[in-house]
Amino acid sequence: MALIRIRNLVKQFGNHTVLDGVNLDLQKGEMKVVMGPSGCGKSTLLRCINRLVEPTSGTILVRDQDIMGAEVDVRALRQSIGFVFQQFALYRHLTVLGNVMLGLRKLRGMSRAEAEAQALFQLNHLEMADHRDKYPSQISGGQKQRVAIARALAMDPAVVVFDEPTSALDPVMVREVADLFNRLNREGVTLLCVTHDLALASQIANRVLFLDQGVIRADDTLENLAKHHPNDQVRAFFGEKEGRS
Amino acid sequence: MNGWSGFQRDLVEQMPLILAGLRQTLQLTVIISVTGFLFGLVVFYFSNSPYRWVRSLIQGYISFFIGTPLIVLLFLMYYGLPQWGLKLSPFLVAVIGFTMNVAAYNAAYLTTARNGLDPTEIESARAQGFGRGQIFRWITLPQVLRLSVPALTNQCIGNLKDSSVAFLIQYTEFFARIQELAATNFQFFKAYLLAAGVYLGLVSILVLMARQVEKWTRLPGLGR
Repeated sequence: MALIRIRNLVKQFGNHTVLDGVNLDLQKGEMKVVMGPSGCGKSTLLRCINRLVEPTSGTILVRDQDIMGAEVDVRALRQSIGFVFQQFALYRHLTVLGNVMLGLRKLRGMSRAEAEAQALFQLNHLEMADHRDKYPSQISGGQKQRVAIARALAMDPAVVVFDEPTSALDPVMVREVADLFNRLNREGVTLLCVTHDLALASQIANRVLFLDQGVIRADDTLENLAKHHPNDQVRAFFGEKEGRS
Repeated sequence: MNGWSGFQRDLVEQMPLILAGLRQTLQLTVIISVTGFLFGLVVFYFSNSPYRWVRSLIQGYISFFIGTPLIVLLFLMYYGLPQWGLKLSPFLVAVIGFTMNVAAYNAAYLTTARNGLDPTEIESARAQGFGRGQIFRWITLPQVLRLSVPALTNQCIGNLKDSSVAFLIQYTEFFARIQELAATNFQFFKAYLLAAGVYLGLVSILVLMARQVEKWTRLPGLGR
């Protein structure tokens, strides 16, 4: 059974079609990478999965439940999907610890002690426990990302989705992010990652999905996409940066 | 000028009344600062309502009370309403009038500060599963209040000074008592200079308190 099953997903903003019939399956325990040029609808795709953006048509099943159904509790759905934003979006008025605790306290109704223990466990796991009392403005981009991941994992989500995880970081951080993703995935975390960073993709996945002009145009290994794909643009997208990474 | 001894005698004689007036002034200032703040929060909350008509209503409220002089509102309630059979005490009129006015200003400061928030933090909170009310309470409000501390404390200082207007609706606060003092010996200059000095002293205390609040609410690593 697929954890997430997307069929024929269409999203239009006015008469501009961003997603034009996307199909995607994500299995439990899988790490899936969706690539594509800027503006191809990657972020919109992610935001449809937790209904931050309402799809125009199509179906999305999360754990076999149609998330567009009238009886669906959208806020419960969102709690089951950890979302790590491009800019990490930590709450700037809360400390590192406070950022991870807020959801546990207010959404899970945990006591302060319980929430703190759970938050510290996750921060420890991501090697950020030493920074527990710092504010987001006092830590680096890579550290912010780790806190954002800890905040997502603390809620025990079914899947963690990443929107362009390396675009707000130094290029030298890519290796570190890739190692972290691989480790999390080995530990059983299901990840869905959209990115246009070929260096990152090549270190965390063999196969990638290529999203372009609102449809999944390819589902193949990076090597095949770079060398054997019939479409010039696809080959260019994957081949162009290969030498550099 | 030979008025000094006379002025001093009258001052001492009327001191109990002046102090009572001062207490009235402080009482009104504290009350309208609190009610104006709380009602301002309510107005601010609804200014971001998902319903357009609510937002328009709130915008209308803010524009109306910022756009009309407070004295007109006070006179309308104190001298106008009795013609419709509704007679309110000067204190009540002052509290209601100031609260409506101060809340409109406070709400305007808060809505301005909201523009300084990072929209992705709000989106992130929605993605985590927080509801509208929770986002307001735990994300928007703590940040907006911090950003608004200078404006909100300035408003409290304004409240203290503006409370003197209440003497025009027979509310016997400090300035009304000073008026009486001046009227008994015609030493207007001395009386009003004294009033100015007292207001300045009180404002200075408020400024020091405001600085302290700013210090407490400042986030490490950020300008504010």
